[in-house]
Amino acid sequence: MQKTRKKTYRKPVKWQFLLLLMTVFQVISMFQIFINGTQESNTTLFTVFTVYILTEWIYFLVFGVFLKRKSFEIELIAFFLTGIGLTLTTSVYPDKAYTQLIAVLMGISVFIFLLWILSDTERAIKLRMPIAFLAIAALVFTLLFGSEINGAKNWIIIGSKSHPLFSIQPSELVKIAFVFVGAATLEHLQSTKSLTKYILFAVSCVGLLFLMKDFGTALIFFFTFIVIAFLRSGDIKTIFLVCAAALTGGVGVVTFKPYVMKRFETYRHIWDYAATGGYQQVRVLIYAVSGGLFGLGIGNGKLRNVYAATEDLAFGMVCEEYGILIAFLVLLTFVALVVYSIRYAVAARSSFYSIAALAASSLLLFQAALHVFGVTDLLPWTGVTLPFISRGGSSMMCCWGLVAFIKAIDVKTYKRYDSILKA
Amino acid sequence: MKSISRRALMLYALVAVFLVGSGILFGTLYVNADKWAMRRENRHVFSGGALIAAGTITDERGEVLAETKDGKRVYNDSKKVRTATLHVVGDAGGYIATGVQSTYKDALTGYSFANGVYDIKKYGKGNDMALTINADLCVAAYDALGQNKGTVGVYNYKTGQLVCVASKPAFDIANKPTQSIQNDTTGAYDGVYLNRFFSGLYTPGSTFKVLTSAAAMEHKPSLLQEDYTCTGENPIDGGSVKCNAKHGKLNFEKALNVSCNSVFSKVTVEVGKEGMSETMNRLGFNTSMDIGSIHLAKSRFSLENASDLDLGWAGIGQYTTLVNPCHMLTIIGSIANNGQKTMPYLVESIRSQSGREIYSDRPKENAEPEALFTPEVAKELQKMMRSTVKNKYGDSKFPKLEMCGKTGTAEVSSENGGKKPHAWFVGFSEREDFPYAIVVVAENGGSGGSVALPIASKVMKKAADLYLK
Repeated sequence: MQKTRKKTYRKPVKWQFLLLLMTVFQVISMFQIFINGTQESNTTLFTVFTVYILTEWIYFLVFGVFLKRKSFEIELIAFFLTGIGLTLTTSVYPDKAYTQLIAVLMGISVFIFLLWILSDTERAIKLRMPIAFLAIAALVFTLLFGSEINGAKNWIIIGSKSHPLFSIQPSELVKIAFVFVGAATLEHLQSTKSLTKYILFAVSCVGLLFLMKDFGTALIFFFTFIVIAFLRSGDIKTIFLVCAAALTGGVGVVTFKPYVMKRFETYRHIWDYAATGGYQQVRVLIYAVSGGLFGLGIGNGKLRNVYAATEDLAFGMVCEEYGILIAFLVLLTFVALVVYSIRYAVAARSSFYSIAALAASSLLLFQAALHVFGVTDLLPWTGVTLPFISRGGSSMMCCWGLVAFIKAIDVKTYKRYDSILKA
Repeated sequence: MKSISRRALMLYALVAVFLVGSGILFGTLYVNADKWAMRRENRHVFSGGALIAAGTITDERGEVLAETKDGKRVYNDSKKVRTATLHVVGDAGGYIATGVQSTYKDALTGYSFANGVYDIKKYGKGNDMALTINADLCVAAYDALGQNKGTVGVYNYKTGQLVCVASKPAFDIANKPTQSIQNDTTGAYDGVYLNRFFSGLYTPGSTFKVLTSAAAMEHKPSLLQEDYTCTGENPIDGGSVKCNAKHGKLNFEKALNVSCNSVFSKVTVEVGKEGMSETMNRLGFNTSMDIGSIHLAKSRFSLENASDLDLGWAGIGQYTTLVNPCHMLTIIGSIANNGQKTMPYLVESIRSQSGREIYSDRPKENAEPEALFTPEVAKELQKMMRSTVKNKYGDSKFPKLEMCGKTGTAEVSSENGGKKPHAWFVGFSEREDFPYAIVVVAENGGSGGSVALPIASKVMKKAADLYLK
């Protein structure tokens, strides 16, 4: 036993050097914005970057130096991606820079808070029912009172629609709940009853999202359900059956609701609809190749002038302004999250942590795939955001929340906690 | 626990699918990069439909033909130059398919997959292009065409530099008469976007007799030694090929001088279908040809299902034969160059803003020489074409140029309902210090001798002013 453990633990990456490298990368980004003046207020520019970089360093100081944690791969990835998103927002939407910064800080808070919740398995498991009910309630509330943006009724907006005081996308936060409930239910009672309950929960979530016409998110939930169900049962046959049933259902929906089909009519034909339905995707491809391997630099792109560039078209923006190389590095970081979870699954404290981490990382990878391949017309475009990079507070909290599950799979995360708690 | 970590390995399949997808995406971007970057929707490259990212285009002396100034595409100051060079330079809107601004779009903008449009951003424009044409000579040729539609091309048959390409009708790109072109009913703007030199296809008429002579020399040299009699027509299989006059007794060379249809139709039948086809196919008929990135219209010569009478007509440049003027110029240039083929080219160099040459259509120095004719055949053809100018047209048309040439009057009336014939002239100077060949086509202009020859005379005189010291 001792022997296999040693094999499983790999040497953690030296975080000090990577943190420095990342900081340099972010400072360069900041100066690019400073030089081309896309952020009108230099005070805003310097404040946003100073606060963000300080946050990174404080985080690493607290957890790395004081709490003596060794492995930081996951945080490095999350901070790297978040930094790219923050840079783009600061440059494209000068007046939304602070909002995004606050969203990032909230995301990191959610991350730390969730890590603390997860430190006590018993406590975490007890929370599963309240969270499940809260999640369903949030979705029902959105369906009843939500506002429709871009065809999907998935926003709760307080204040006027054009100048909202506060807006939130509950389906994003429910993603955390979905993974949490899925992992916790299966941990607790491996009985048919608990599984039925979870299926009921999953079906409700996916169904409600479908009613909101948020098909992209519905697909993500369905995919996550499949991953969790497979990890739980190991039954490939059943999984195929469920997928086939879902596919039939999907075809049925498309047949009965032609407007769903309409969303996919430009698929693989975007160049024929360059001025209408394929407008955004055509621009993504044109400006992605215009950026070349090394990019045009922050603020020098043209995709930023296209509607929803920092949200729905984030991958194209990264290609054009950061370059195709960095854009594909971004894709690899999502792969890294999944590989990390798989590698650590064997050494997790319990199956709750394994399933949570695997589900969370797969969800992020799947969402990234839907975004990247959708916006480039390799898959039908669902309009989902690119995790961490797309602008938006709800999705930022969701992503950092999911990262907490991945982080929690590594027992060393809590070693120090435990010893502190004991002391 | 253990089972979960084992099942987790299945997620590697997911990772693999994602990685394959990423690979496909990267490949798709790489393969389509040039095409997508050059899309009109790209605001880095196009503005208001104009190719703003292109660099400066100059003629052989450095005269600016087109450039980008303050984000706008502007052309030469002179209206005459703008009009005469319209088809070569092309329009930024891409209407003129063979214009260098369309065919060399990628190279002109300096786009590359590695750097994207970074250089365009940095310098505010793309790569600079130097052309081989001389703007003044183009203007002279355009003016010489007068009221005719048609084309004139002049090139150095030793180096390949195209010094003159003119195509009429054209328009002033700075004041494009869009309305007139759209509502044109008089035919004044017929094919106005077409560069007739690269894209035109014309019945060659008697200019083709030069090529028929080559076929005769190659396949039945004895035909050159025979004596012929012209009775004003040559009866074949119940029909006949009419001649322009009753030439009486004459030899082969004399027959070319006076452009005798009787003799040439007879010779063609003697050479036969196979011999004619072999020679013409070798000379580039029925083959696609490119001048750099510019695609030439494919010349046609086919004797499939042709009767002997058809063959006789084909030999004097009628029947179904069609020739592209640039292709014809290349063949004439090869005769002048003792049989060695010299492809014409238009783009001397494309340089990045840092001055590095990134492209040129100059023939490679170590390129394998390609012969269209043996030196003997070429020399014999030179001699015959020289005597045609000397004895028939008169050296006064081309003072001091030791010109060789052949006119052509290509009948098109049978197909096009009473239209005048195309007037042709092909020729070249034999002078070592003036190695230029010329092709003139005046579309439905009339007879070669009275229409095309004077045009060629004017253009070659202008060329001599420029290049003959």
